[in-house]
Order: sequence, then structure tokens, then C-alpha cells
Amino acid sequence: MLEIKDLTCGYDKRFHLDGINLAIKEGGFFGIIGPNGSGKTTLLRAITRVLKPEKGEILLDGKDIWRMDFKELARTIAVVSQNVSTDDLNVKEFVLLSRIPHYRGLQFLETKRDEEIADNAMILTDSIRFKDRSMSEISGGERQLVLIARALAQEPKFLLLDEPTSHLDITHQVRVLDLLKKLNRELSLTVIIVMHDLNLASEYCDRLALLSGGTIYKEGIPKDVLDYRTIEEVYKTVVVVEKNPVSLKPYILLISGEERQRRRKK
Amino acid sequence: MSKATIRWTAQILILIGMLLAIAALSLCLGSTTLSIRKAIDVIFIRPGATEYNILFQIRLPRIILGLAIGGALSLAGVILQGLFRNPLVEPYTMGISGGAALGVSLAIVLKLCRSMGLLTLPFAGFVGSGIVIMLIYFINIRRRALKIQGLLLTGVMISFISSSLIMLVMAVSRAEDLHGIVFWIMGSLEEPSWFLIKLMLFVSLAGLVLSYIFWKDLNALRLGEEEAAHLGINTERVKRMLFILASLLTGCAVSVGGIIGFVGLIVPHLVRMFIGSDHRILLVGSFLCGAGFLISCDTLARIIVAPSELPVGVITGILGGTFFIYALTRRGKQVA
Amino acid sequence: MRKIRILLPVFFATIILWRVFSYDACASQSLPKRIVSLAPSMTEELYLLGAEDSLIANTTYCVTPPAAGAKEKIGDITRINLEKIVSLKPDLVLATSLTNSKAIQKLKNLGIEVMIFPAPKNYAYLCDQFLGLGKAVGKEAQAKAIIAESKERVVAIKAETVGLAKPKVFIEIGAKPLFTANKDYFINDFVELAGGVNIAQDAKVGTYSREEVLRKNADVIIIVMMGTAVEKEKEVWQKFKDLNAVRANRIYVIDSRKVCSPTPVTFVETLNEIVSLLHPELSRGKQ
Repeated sequence: MLEIKDLTCGYDKRFHLDGINLAIKEGGFFGIIGPNGSGKTTLLRAITRVLKPEKGEILLDGKDIWRMDFKELARTIAVVSQNVSTDDLNVKEFVLLSRIPHYRGLQFLETKRDEEIADNAMILTDSIRFKDRSMSEISGGERQLVLIARALAQEPKFLLLDEPTSHLDITHQVRVLDLLKKLNRELSLTVIIVMHDLNLASEYCDRLALLSGGTIYKEGIPKDVLDYRTIEEVYKTVVVVEKNPVSLKPYILLISGEERQRRRKK
Repeated sequence: MSKATIRWTAQILILIGMLLAIAALSLCLGSTTLSIRKAIDVIFIRPGATEYNILFQIRLPRIILGLAIGGALSLAGVILQGLFRNPLVEPYTMGISGGAALGVSLAIVLKLCRSMGLLTLPFAGFVGSGIVIMLIYFINIRRRALKIQGLLLTGVMISFISSSLIMLVMAVSRAEDLHGIVFWIMGSLEEPSWFLIKLMLFVSLAGLVLSYIFWKDLNALRLGEEEAAHLGINTERVKRMLFILASLLTGCAVSVGGIIGFVGLIVPHLVRMFIGSDHRILLVGSFLCGAGFLISCDTLARIIVAPSELPVGVITGILGGTFFIYALTRRGKQVA
Repeated sequence: MRKIRILLPVFFATIILWRVFSYDACASQSLPKRIVSLAPSMTEELYLLGAEDSLIANTTYCVTPPAAGAKEKIGDITRINLEKIVSLKPDLVLATSLTNSKAIQKLKNLGIEVMIFPAPKNYAYLCDQFLGLGKAVGKEAQAKAIIAESKERVVAIKAETVGLAKPKVFIEIGAKPLFTANKDYFINDFVELAGGVNIAQDAKVGTYSREEVLRKNADVIIIVMMGTAVEKEKEVWQKFKDLNAVRANRIYVIDSRKVCSPTPVTFVETLNEIVSLLHPELSRGKQ
């Protein structure tokens, strides 16, 4: 379980988190949503130990992450970031890098086990077919799958993803999220995902935390968080919330300025 | 044994073979050329003859120093390019060579030459480079975090400042001192003190061994500092240690051999192009390749305009630069 | 006991004889027979001393006298080929302060004797060095004779200029930046002994300001350089119409080779030339 207690941290007044309290249970599929500048990425950075908190603490299964050994933390949390520079690596090499936290002492070469785990991760993410290709040659969607494979191969308990679907077409958006859902169900991997797209968040996440101005505005199941009044308050834009006809989950509809004018005239 | 391991072992063996061949060739070539058979004959049968002297007292120390300095500079290049993820970084961009050159110029002009005998100038060079390393380090350490881009900028600026200061020293020095300074700056593998040669060899090999402590960290850093941290790397500590290691290697190399550029820039790129970027092979591969490269350049410097001799830095620049451009266009691959 | 009484004297006798013979051997080896010269001035001086037969190699710059040009070459003044030198098996190498000190150390490590002749600060130094060289090659008597003659002629030349007004001289040895010789430089002696005053003699460093030359209003400018830079410099000076040297048209050029590698003999020749330049009022019959 990941507990965030009274967390206050940030770069300057703009990207600052204030008094964040959150508890994410193991096995959950948790979404962090909010407008630009609300602190989503800052929160992610705090959890991955990149940003030091001014106040408060973050506990993983009861242990303060700042007191954990670097490698131990890496074996527990795996991160899928947005921008990873991979220059001339090929897919297999890239995925194998994830085994670094698992290397013992003077181990110099990958063990058979390391290779198997990497291959398994690529099979699970359906990326095994381009394992010998260069990272710069594969498409955006394929790349996302490989990034997830790498995180998987780290054998973590928690998987953190920073906007994994923002730049993908709908095919790949669904593919990636379906995969994550599958991993969450079958491997009991706790998934914490920072999302832009409210509808995808609603469709896939068990629980959501809506951030606004550096604090948690609302937390709970999608039906409770994605209420039209809440969204209009936080996002400062007019929306209509319906139910997705297939999954019955909340579905947010945007209204263009023109339409709003037209309605008002009526 | 995985495929990669077999490939790497083969590559290392080939590089070692090439290095030995280059060393043997260097031993035989010069203003008086000896055939291999004659060389063996002289080594094992008649010590004391002039040929023996030429071989061992003149050529062999140069070969050993070439190995040590070529290896050290290439290693420093690999480490720095891994830290900065910038393909144009080489040991000399960091300003360390400027500091060493300034130290030596001051020592020559202030007539400190006799205080430690032969070791004065290398020592002055080392002190000079040490001061620069500390300056760069302390200017860029903020809240216990080492800002990598800041290191690069500071290094380049210090390079410029050192050059200007050296010109100032040259302007006020006497003709003889001026010669001494220029000579030193031109870089040379000619070193009469066996102590220094052995010391440099030791530093070089020790550096190689120590660098392997960080192979995982360097591999992870290829993804960027933040990603490397996600993989469990203690990036602050690693950055600090690697910076110091690379600086020491460079400082020593420059103090003993003067300014020999391009080796630290070109060799890592070449090895990456032809062998790969995994630091497990890159570190030792660059070391061996750099050693062979510098020895070859020195041999060429000795024979190309015999009986005169060109400064080795001229050859490393021309040969290295040309070959590099050629390799770039042939491969068409992106560099680093 | 008897054995010892015989053995002991035999033992000592052996030692004494050995010392005697080895001393003799040393004595006959004390004169170098295979000399390598690393500078033109050394080469010329060896010829002056009559020791040219011991000279086995010199630099590419050693062309005076012409016979020297035909000897084996081991590089130029600053870059020498160690291997070549060693393969010639010299017993004495003559170096200057321009020779790479590491190379000198290397030669010494290989057991070759090296004599270093730093650039002489003035005429007196030059003569001392010449004497030192003479002693080293076993031509002390010749050296002394040549020095004596040289000194005589210098004294005579000095005498010529006694009582004459001393022109203010600016010695230009470098153009960009403007470089001159203060009293620590050899060239200063030429001016002083020729009855002139070097305006930069007390300068702290070699780089000099053109303004200063104008302020001191040099009467004579002597350019000691080679090549195209010389003509350019003359043009530059011509712009300063109020400078004494320009008004009197006394900007002279001297070949730097004559000035920079002097022997006691060439020193006198050059001194003569400079006296003619500084004191045209002496109508001298000789050159």
C-alpha cells in the first residue's frame, strides 16, 4: 500500500503541492487527473523520489521511501515516463536495462533468469516481435508497449505511468490501457496512472484523485468524482456528464463556445 | 555464454591483438627501421648494442606512455560522454587541460623548474588541473546536486580564460621560457623519467578498473538522469564520483603528455559505431582502441618527416578527425 | 702467512697498475671525437676552433660555413631526432636552451654527454661560453687566441665612439605585438658597445608600446627580423613623421641570423656594421 501523508513539496509557487493525503491500496487501478499545472507530475515526481518533500512523508508498505535503499525502491516501483531518450539502443537492450536493480553484487552479465523475465515482459506486451529492432525505428504505439515491457521486467509491485496515452491514436490508447488492466488483474500489479483524458480515466480506473491548484479536490470512484459541477469548478469549462451506454461509467461531453451561445439565445 | 558475451570476448581479443601488432610495429619503425626478426634478435641476444638502446630506451617508453595516455584519455572521454550525453564532450572541453597548461607555464616562467627536478612540470600541471577541477565542481554544486550542464559551460569558460592567461604569461616571458611553454603545450610522448611513465600507467590501469564499478550506472544514464534514478541509481553520488575519476585521468594525462587532443573525443564514438554502446564493452574497448590509436599516431609523427618529428597532437587531430568524418558518412548512423 | 705476504703486495700492485692504465685510457678518451651540434652557432664555433673533424652531425639550419651544410642532419633547432643522434654514437652533444629539455634528459639517461649553452646574455658571456667549448674539445689555446683578438677589436671599436653623441636606439625584434630587447638580451650589448643607448634597456618585459617609442623619440630604429614583415614595419614607422628616426631616415634592417647566433668573430663583424649605422659621422674606410 502506498500512503502519502500530508505531503507538501514543489519547485516554486507555481508547481506546488500542499497537504496531500492519499492512500492507494495494493491491486488498485488508480488514476490521477486534473488540469494543467494542478500538480500531477509534481506528485508523480514526489512518489518516485525525484523531489524531496518539505513536509510530510510517503510510505510504501509502511516504509518511508526516502529511507529505502535506491535499488530496493526501484524493485518496488517502476515508472513509465513520457520522455525517455533512447538514442541507439535496441528494444531488447532497453528492456534488459530494467534488470539493473536486480543485479547482485559483482554480477556482470545478465543471467538466464534476467533474459527470461525480459522476454516474458515483451511477450505480455506483445512487443516481442520487434525485440531486435532499434528504439528509434518503432512507432509511437509500439514504443509505448516497449516502455511498459521495460517497467514490467523490473518486477515491481507498483507501476506508475505518466500520461502513457496522450500521443497515441485510439487503437493504441485502448490497446495500452487494456494491457494495463490485464496486468493489474492477472499479476496484481498496482497501477497508478496520471491521465489527461477524463473519459479514459473514467473507463479504466477503479478510483480517481482529482487535483486542483496543488491539493486534492476530490477522491473516490469515478461516478463520485466525475460529477459535472465538480468538473466545471476545477476545469472552468462547461460540460455535460452522461453515462457510457456500454459500461455505464461517467462520460464527459464537451460543449463548444458556439453551442453554448446558441443554447443561451434559445 | 550468451551471444553478446561471445561477441564481446571476440572483440576484446581482436582489439588486444591489434594493440600488440601496433606496438610491435612501432618498436620496429623509426628513422632506423628494424625488421621483426632483428628486433627479437636484439632483445634477447645482445643487450648494450646501439640498436638495443634505440629500441628500449627511446621507443619502448613512448609506446608504454602512448598506451597509458591514449587509454586514459579515451576512458575519460567515455565517462564524460556518458555523464553529459553530449557527443561533443571530451576531456579537454572541461577546461582541465587549460588549467594544467597554465600551471606549467607559470612554473616555467617563475623559474620553479629546479625545485623538483624532472617532476616539477608534471606536478605543476597536475596542481593546475586540480585547481580547475575543484573550481568547476564547487561552482556547480547546488544544494548537494551537481548540475551537469553547468559543468560543461563552466569548463568551456575556464578553458577560454586559461588560454588568455597563458597568452599573458607568454607575452611577458623570455624567449627561452616561451619555447619551453610552447613545447609543452604541443604535447609529446617523449618522457625521460621512468617513474612518471610507470605512474601514468598505474593511474591509467587503475582508472580502467575503477570505471567498471560504474558500468551499470553508465548504462542506466543513457536513458537520462531521471530515468536512471528510476532504475535505482544513486545519481548524485555517481555523477560526483565519475566526474572526479574522469578529471583525475585527464589531469594526469595532460600533466605528463601535454595537450594531445581528439583522442578522448573520437575514440569513444568510433568504438560505439563499430562495437556498441553497452559500457561493459565500451570502457575496455575504448581504452584499448585509444591506446592503439595514440601509439599509431606517435609512430607516424616520428616517421613522416624524418629526421624531424611532428608533434603528436597534429597527427591525432588530422588523422582522427578525417577518419571520423569518413566513418560518419559511411555509416550514415546518428552519433551518440 | 707466507702466502698473504706475497698476495697482498701483488694485490695492491694490481690495483695501482689498473688505476694507472685506466687513468690513461680516460685521459685519451677525454677529447670528444664524435660531436653532434644542435645549433648553428655551435657549429660555426667548432669550425673557428678547427675542431670540425670531430663534428659528425648538425642541424638543418647549420649552413655556415658551407662545409657544415654537407654534414649529417639530425633535425632542426627545436625538433631533434633522438634515434638518429643515438645511432651515430656521439660522445658529446652540444645543446642550447632552445633544445627540448626532455630530449636532453633522454640523451643523458642513455649515457651521452650533453653540454648546454644557454643563450648568452651579453658579450662577456659569449666569450666565456666559447672558452668553455674550446676546453671541452681540447682547443683551449685556439679559443683563447680568438677571444683575445675579438676583445681587442671590440675595444678598438668602442674607442672609436668615445665622446660621440649616443643616439637613442629602438631595437625591434618582433612586430605583432611590438617586441624589443631589454638589457637582459644579448642584442642590447650590440647597441651599448656601438656607442648607442637602448631606449628599452630598463623595460620589464619584451612587449613595448609604440607610443613609448614616440615619446622617447628614438633617433634610430633597428629592425632585427626576417621576411615580409620587415617591409610592413618600415611602412608603419614612416607614418610617424615627427619621429626623429623617420625624419632622419634612420630605420635600418639587420639580418636576424647575424644577430641571433653569434660567435666571437661574427659578433665583431656585426658590431662593426652597427657602429656604421649609429655613427655615420665616422667616415670609416673599412666596412
